[in-house]
This record gives sequence, C-alpha cells and structure tokens, in this order.
Amino acid sequence: MRPTHLALYTIMLAAPAVAQKRAITYTEFDLPNGLHVILHEDHATPIVAVSVMYHVGSKNETPDRRGFAHFFEHLLFEGSKNIKRGEFSKLVENAGGVLNANTNGDRTYYYEVLPSNELELGLWLESERMMHARVDQVGVDTQREVVKEERRQRYENQPYGTITLEVLKRAFTKHPYQWPTIGFMEDLNAASEVDYQQFYKRYYIPNNATLVVAGDITPERTRTLVESYFAKIPKGDPVEQPTIVEPPLGREVRDVVHDRIQLPAVVMGYRIPANGTPDFYAVEMLNRVLSGGNSARMNTALKDRLQVALYCGAFNFPFEQPGIAMLFAIANGKTTADELEAAMQHEIDALATTPISEEELTRLKAQLETEFVADNSRVAGIAHNLANAHVLLGNTELINTEIDRYLSLTPADLQRAAKTYFVSSNRVVLHYLPTPSN
Amino acid sequence: MARSTSFRTHTSLHAAILGGALLLPALMTAQLDRSHPPLSGPAPDVHIGHHSIAELPNGMHLIVVEDHKLPLVSVQVRFDITPVHQAEKAGYVDLFGELLTAGAGKRSKAEIDRSVDAIGATLYTSGDGLFASALKKNLEPLMAVVEDVITKPTFPEEEVKSALVRARSAVQQRQEDPDGIAEAVGKLVTFGSGHPYGEMTTERTLGQVDRSNLEAYHRRFFRPDNCYLVFVGDITEKEAKALAKEHFGKWKKSNTPVTKDEYGREVVEGLGFVVPMGRPSVPGKVRNVYVVNRPGAAQSVIRISFPLPLIPKDLRAQQAQVMNTILGGGIFNARLMQNLREKNGYTYGCYSSLDVDRFNSALVVSTSVRTEVTKDAVAEILVEMERMRNEPVTKEELILAKRSMMGAFGRSLEDPRTVARFALNTRLNDLPADHYETYLKRLDAITAEQVKEAATAFLYPNEANILVVGDLDQVKSGLAAFSTNKEEPILRLTVDGERWKEELKPVTDRTAEQIIETYIYTVGGRDAIAKLRDLEVVRKETGDGPEVEQTEWFSGERYRMRRKEGPSVIEEITYNGERALISGDDGSGELTDAGLEMVQRQSRPVPEVGFEKLMNGSRILGSLSEGDREVYKLQLTLGSGNSLIQVYDKASGLKVREVESQYFDGKMNERTQVFSDWREVGGVKLPYRIMESGGIRGTRVSEISSVRINPEVPKGFFDVVIPEIPEGTVPTEMLPPEYTPREKEED
Repeated sequence: MRPTHLALYTIMLAAPAVAQKRAITYTEFDLPNGLHVILHEDHATPIVAVSVMYHVGSKNETPDRRGFAHFFEHLLFEGSKNIKRGEFSKLVENAGGVLNANTNGDRTYYYEVLPSNELELGLWLESERMMHARVDQVGVDTQREVVKEERRQRYENQPYGTITLEVLKRAFTKHPYQWPTIGFMEDLNAASEVDYQQFYKRYYIPNNATLVVAGDITPERTRTLVESYFAKIPKGDPVEQPTIVEPPLGREVRDVVHDRIQLPAVVMGYRIPANGTPDFYAVEMLNRVLSGGNSARMNTALKDRLQVALYCGAFNFPFEQPGIAMLFAIANGKTTADELEAAMQHEIDALATTPISEEELTRLKAQLETEFVADNSRVAGIAHNLANAHVLLGNTELINTEIDRYLSLTPADLQRAAKTYFVSSNRVVLHYLPTPSN
Repeated sequence: MARSTSFRTHTSLHAAILGGALLLPALMTAQLDRSHPPLSGPAPDVHIGHHSIAELPNGMHLIVVEDHKLPLVSVQVRFDITPVHQAEKAGYVDLFGELLTAGAGKRSKAEIDRSVDAIGATLYTSGDGLFASALKKNLEPLMAVVEDVITKPTFPEEEVKSALVRARSAVQQRQEDPDGIAEAVGKLVTFGSGHPYGEMTTERTLGQVDRSNLEAYHRRFFRPDNCYLVFVGDITEKEAKALAKEHFGKWKKSNTPVTKDEYGREVVEGLGFVVPMGRPSVPGKVRNVYVVNRPGAAQSVIRISFPLPLIPKDLRAQQAQVMNTILGGGIFNARLMQNLREKNGYTYGCYSSLDVDRFNSALVVSTSVRTEVTKDAVAEILVEMERMRNEPVTKEELILAKRSMMGAFGRSLEDPRTVARFALNTRLNDLPADHYETYLKRLDAITAEQVKEAATAFLYPNEANILVVGDLDQVKSGLAAFSTNKEEPILRLTVDGERWKEELKPVTDRTAEQIIETYIYTVGGRDAIAKLRDLEVVRKETGDGPEVEQTEWFSGERYRMRRKEGPSVIEEITYNGERALISGDDGSGELTDAGLEMVQRQSRPVPEVGFEKLMNGSRILGSLSEGDREVYKLQLTLGSGNSLIQVYDKASGLKVREVESQYFDGKMNERTQVFSDWREVGGVKLPYRIMESGGIRGTRVSEISSVRINPEVPKGFFDVVIPEIPEGTVPTEMLPPEYTPREKEED
C-alpha cells in the first residue's frame, strides 16, 4: 500500500462524527446500596421504559448448573412477597404495558414499557423483584418444561439452529462461554431450592444491578421515587466475575456437523478480544467490510459474482470477556461446503492483504452514523443501550461516543486485526452437511 | 384493581403531557406501602400526528408526515394491487419484488447496492413497492435510486437466472425448516391452493417463471395512478412535494396492452391471463387434520387456522381483535398462553393472530410443542376456542385486553411511520376519516357481549384446518380423533403442500425372508435367541389411560403375560404352546383364530424366529426414505389371512415398526408399534422402548424396567385350563366388518 493512501484515510476517519450532535442526554447516580441508576428524559411520546440489568449471565454459572441464569430469569416472573404467582404480568398488561426479559453470557435484562403515568408501577415491580422475589415448586416445575420447549423450538427444531452451540463448545474448553445460555436440561433438572436461594442472594442485589428509566419522566421526581422504592434493599457481597482465561486455540479446530438440511453451510468461529477493546471494534469493522450491506465484499463475491451462497454474514458476539466472531454462509444451488469455504477464505485472506478502499470507508462511516440514530429512536432501545454501556463497557457515555471508537480506527488497524485474528490457528471451522440417508 | 384507562386520544396538535408532580409529596414522606401496587397517575393524552395527502397530476398520491425529532426520513412506495393468481408460476411476484433492485435505469445491481450502502441507507423492495430510509442529508441520492427502481427496473437476464437458482435454494431450505413449512403449507390449507394467498412456491413453479413475466407485471401494476408515495420524518411537506415532482412527476402510466379473451378474462402480454383474486375463502364444512411428516422431529409445529369473511371497515373487526387478544393475541395473560404454557408447560409460547385483511382475513393459532403432547395441545386450543364462543369473558379479562390494546396503540405512535400507516390504511381499506382518532374511544366501549358475539361470528373450531408438522407415526392416531373428515382422518401432505404419495423403490437384490433373517442375525442370531429360552420381562406402560405394568414370561414355545394397574390384575394370557386362555375384567375364555395367532406371535422374545410357522407368505413392498434413513417395507400374510406391515432400517438391519389392522369402534384401525432403544439381554438385543398408537389402547409408550433370565416360576405356570364357553351372543362391535349388519346404503 502506498503511504499517500494511508494518509488520506486517516484524515477521513479523524473527521468528527456528525452523530455527536445528537447526543443522548441522561443523568446517573448510585444509591448508597450500590444500585446504579440512569435516567433519560424524552417527552415525545407519553411512555416510559423501566429496566434493570443484572450483571449475571451464563458465564457466572458453575459447570453443573449450565443454563441456570436464563432459567432463573424465567422464575423471576413468578412473583414476590407482595405479588402472587401470575400477577406480575397481569399488573403490567392491565396498565397497558409490555414486559419481557432476556439473558446472555454476561447479563440478564428485565424491562417494562408502560404509559408514563404508570412509572411508579414499573419501579414497584422491579424493586419487588430485587427485594424479595418468590418462586414456588409449581412455578419451578412449569418453567423447567417451558425452558425445555424453548430449547427445542430455538435450537433443535430449527435448521442450522445449533451453529452457535457447536462453535462455542469447540472454541472454548476452560471458559464458561463454552456452554450456551439456554444450558442443558440435566443441569436444570438437578437444581434444588438451595441453588435458587444462593443465586438470588449472590447476584440479584442492588450493587450488581443497573436501573434505567427512560421516556416521559421528570428526572427529579423519578429520582425521589427510585429512592423510595430501592434504597431500602440491602446491599450484597461484591460480585466477582469469572477470571478464567481461555488459552489461545493454537490450532484450527475442524469438524463436520450433520443436520436436517438440504443445503450445506460453513461456520467459522474466530477467537477475538473482549467487547470494548480497540481490536474488538477493529474485528467488528472487518465484519462490516465483509457483510455490512449488499455491496459488502462477501455478499458481492459469494452471492452475486460466484453465486455460491444463499446467505452469508459476519458478526461479533459482544461478550465482555474475550469471545468470538462468527462467519456463516449457506450454500446456494449445488455448491459444496468445500467450495463455499474456499470462497469465504478468499475474502478473509483479502482482508489481510488488501487494505479497505476509500469507498468502503465512506460506506462504513455512513452506515454507523445512520445506525446510531436508528438504534436510539425508541425509549426502550435507549434504555437498553444505556444499561449495556454502563454494565458491559463500564462507561455510560459510550452510548454517544462508542461510534468514535469505530471511526478512529485506521485501515492499518483493520489490516493488522485481520492478520492477528482472522488466521486459521485461531478458529473453529464447521461444515454443516445434510444427514446422510445411508 | 383501580387503574385508569391507559391513554386518551387527544385531537389537538399539541399533546397535553400531564406530569405527576402533584402526587409527589405524599410519597416522599409517608412510609412506602409495598403491599399494593401504586396508583396510576392521570392518564396521559395520546396524540396522533398530522399527515397531509396530495395528488400529483399523474394520479400518484403523496402522503407526508412531518416529525423532526430525529434527522431520519423514511420513504415508502406502495401500489394498490389486488392479489393475482400466480398459479403454475407461483413465486413470480416475490421474484419480481426481489429483482427490482437487480438493475434499474442505467444502474446495474452492483451500482444500486453501492449507492444505497454508500449513504448508509436501507432499501427493501417487494411485490407491491418498497421501503427505504436514510439520514435527511442523504435523502436526495436515495430518491434517485428509488425513482429508478420503481419506474425503470431492467430485470437483466443474468440476474433473473441467478435469482431463480437462489429461489430454488430457498425452497430447499424451507423444506427442512419446520416453521417455514408450517407457514407456507399453513396458508395453503387455510385459503386453498386456488387462492392467491394459498399458492405455494415450489421448484416446479419457479421453473415456469421467466423475465417476461416480471416485465409484464411491472407494466401492468406499477403505475402512478395506483401508487402511494409516503414520506415520514425530518422533511417538510414542501420538500416532499418537490422530491415527488422531481422523481415521479414525469412518470406516465405506460400503455400496457391489455386485451380480453372470449370469456372476458384479462390477457396481458408476457403474463397470459391475469386473474385477480375472486371471492374470498370462508371456513369449510369439515375439520381436516393435515400432517407433514418429520420423523424424529424435536417438536410438533401446530397451526390451526381458518379464513374469515371480515373486512377492516367492518365495525366488528375491533371487537374481533379484542376477542382475539383474550384468546391468544400477543399478551402474556391471553388464555392460550396461560393454558398451554403457564398451566401445562407444553410450549414456550402459543399465539393466535387475527389478520384483518381487505382481501381475505384469517385467524391462525400457532405453537410448537413436544411430540408427546401434540394431541393435548390441539385439544386445549380447540377447547379455548369453544369456551370463547360459549361463555362470556370475565370483566377482568376484558379490561386487561382493552388496556393492553390501548397501551399498544399508544406505544405504536412513538414511531412516526405509524401515522403514515394509519393514513395509508384509511385510504386502502376505505375506512372512515376519523377511524384512528376514535380508535381508543370505540375500544373502551366494547362489551363482554360483543366479544362473545365476535367469537360466535369469527371462531370456527369445528371447521378449522389443523396442521401439524411433526413425527407422523407418533402423532397420527392422537390427531385422527379431531378430524370430521370420515374418509381421510389424516391428510398427509408433502413439505410442498401436495398430497403425499408413498414413493416405494423396487427392491430386487433380496427377498423379504432375507431381510427378516438379517434382522434375526443383527439382534443376536438364532442360536443366541434359542439359548435365551426362559425369560421374564417387565415393562412400564404410560400414555392414554392409567399406567400399566406388563410382565411377560417366555419359556420355549410357552408364554404368559400379565397386565397390572397398580396392585390389580386387569388382563392375563397364558399359552401352553397350543392353546391360549385370556382372562380379564369381562371374564375369561379361549383365544382362537386371529386372537390365538397374535399370542403365538408375541410368545417369543424375538417373534420373527417363529414366523415360518405362522406366515402364509411375505413380500417386499419396496424401499423408501424416511427422514434421514432408508427403510425396507414388508408385507406379511398371516395364517388367518390378516396381514402385517413391517419396516426395517436398511443400515442397521433393525426393525423400525410394525403396523397391523385391528377392528374396533365399528371400523378398521391401524395399530402401529415403533421399536427403539435396542439393548442386549443375554446376548440378544431387545427393543427397550415400544411406542404403540392407533390401537384399542390408544397411544402408549412402554419401557422395559426389569429383565430376569431363567426366572423361577411356579409349577404349572403355563398350564391352560379352558373354562366352559358361556351362552349368549357376541356383541356386534366385536364382530369383523363383513358380519356387521349394514344400514340401507344411500347413493
């Protein structure tokens, strides 16, 4: 690459992001019990999102209780000292709201979106959940069945449904990221009363939680309400996150997985640094170079030019500890897995050898800028993004500035990241093939 | 519970946001009472944003919704098209939609993709238009692409060819996706294959599509006079008008050569007959059960549906939506969710959706459940529909449903595109101008009686189409009971929704005897089986009816079997190698003919070793693929003249299942036994798990709980003492069909 090009790109990337003009405003504070609170005021629509993110996910599980964090999420809709079984969702829906929750490797997130006159209801519900949640045996037994069906529906009864499970279990041998958040039924069957109590006491404590209230609120009044509902919840022991360091893969792990499919697929899982690190952003940029839009390299090569893929995509798992970037493609027509892999490999190699073009840079910048606006267009989305920035990245302001971390990367940074991470000794390659019919 | 109405509509342009500051002091001082949910503040007003509608000289409609909160603009182009029958070319409209961006004006596909990506925009096209969005500052270049894509698509030959390959691959992918199958085949059974909504894209229909169809469709249906151009977001009416004029002002209605044939049908050059949708589908007269077989499926995907005579401007549509919300429409407290998930743990979720569509509405209930509870899940869904029809909903349910619908309405307005959608729907569906302004008020006034009336008018549990994508062998007998189609209780369909026909491949390299012999060899061989002369096997049997413990004693040619429900013996059979005695609740007697034959068959741990004595003949029907495996299908003729179907796995040599006819309930029934979990006992492999279905005992699973080799049995354990045959006639339902007195048959 000629130095003049590099200079040009650097100048372009250093241009301030337009998005900064539209910063998301918020106030944040800690209660004495350690609960972190973030408030975002926006009166455009008379609704409010109330959410709590607990810093616990499947990576906090012990190897004999895999899936417990997600199972626990189901159980925490069962009720509390003051909320009978089944009432939690009734209260929300009766108030014209919606509620849900989700769990991943790192955190568990609960939320309600309510008409803004029901703000207090949302705070009461979340404080009840944090203060004295209650689960009876009927709830445990029912939710265990529900989670089994969730596993079947999402993973087992879907073509290619197991790709994440199959990649993670080969990419990690020590770190808890090796098992899927949905877990394993034998572990959930083995869970007992003691497990529930311990897990609740250990992780569902104010000093391991972040409360976000976003929408049609006045921050002063909301702060008073938050204090009255949450301040009395006792602080717990500090939560220690796992310190297990997964050793480098050191070799390519390659396998064939048979599935009920007609079209073969190729999955590649590359080990990458933790979310929030410069190289994490660099790899994410590389993913976008490959598959961010119809004009991205992998799409134009695999789908349009060679016509070997029906679908292709590249994305990072946003794990807070070193995780995985996944590349996935489904074969088109009579293409074999080997042919598909060769075509993918060509594009991966090119990332290390050919610096990204000016056109590609323009595209990435424009896409990031638009995404920032679109991702922060609803109060529910803003609440989630604020919680994520604080809990997983340790800095709420990143909701506004994370985009600069992407834009400050130079083509040389990206090329170096490609050479460091997108190498075969750092990956799992799986060929998904139709189950042979003898 | 004292909660106020979620939202009130406010028609003034300025929303009155009522903060709760007045309530504050009470909270700050008093001790917080946690035992009750806090009271609601005053209901906030909901404000539906302003929109404008204008018409360009070429007939194109322009809808603009200004919302300057975010620097985003979305653009929609929507054509008002009555769905057409694609028939043998099914799939061409979707392909047309996809290929709008495959070349337009002077732009190639790559150029279009690059133009869109370069400005960080999105652009999605479909058979009736497109959706696009971009930051305000990038709107101008986006509109240039939108103009070309809508008015000048070129459908390059190479792109059409490559899209057809992709479309075929997508069909193949769908064929292995249980949800995809349920969705596509489900529409087919809901509306019928002769309805535009029920047409199924297959590899065969894609083979009939060519470029000329796409061009013709564009000429015929993408015209300014049936087009709505919608701008939403950070744009003024004036700017929108200028953009519309700049990009679509010169667009003229093209002169599509449309002629009528002698029957009055429209003929379009490049498309042939264009038949727009005629009468909407209505529920049929029978309740059919359809199954798409997925052997070994992890779950059954269930879809219960019927088409409905209901249009959006029908005032009952909103009442029907409240009814649907209570039944299963997206809220957690809906009856289906509470019943199937929270009470029974059958599923992760169960939903009903009422799609009120101006051309044809439909109600669809869908869920995924574990195979064993397929029948129970279907039963519960039908029960909940019946309950909606027969009993009024409770006050609490009604309030919760209405409030959650009000809440959803209020939340939807956070997206300014909702206002545009309302405006477009008002036009397309011919709704009163104030339809959405009065939405909350009308909703609030709906009564339990109206909900019941809506259930009576729009729920058809007895005429529903029940589709299950799952393991046929395991679900068919349980599902047959739901069918009111006497001729074919289970209509088996292929993954493409066609009637399934077993495709048997001829087998010429072996005989039925050889396949059975291979099986005997596989499980241990004749010598090992002969050595296992005395054996006791206990099985636990569960499923329909109470749990049963069945113990079998094998001793050479002699056999005894005892079935117990708890401590009490419900049935016992003893066979001394010649005669068999059965005793049970209704007394005891000798088994002869087919009954004796059945005992003789089961009197050995591996029945097949005694087959040469019992069989009159055997033949291979052929081989076939079942899911992942290849199997041989054999027909055996027994001494009594009855026949037995056996299926063997080609690869392992093991017996997969056995099907025989049983006469009861006044008709012939097919009893299927599925064998699995083969484990060795004294050098011989036995199926530890047997699933039985379709027989007189219903669906039952039995598993071996204990095995004893050379068990001790009392002296005379296998002796048979035949009691005197009591006088009296045999009940008619016990007689085989030819002896059943027939009613006079009507033609």
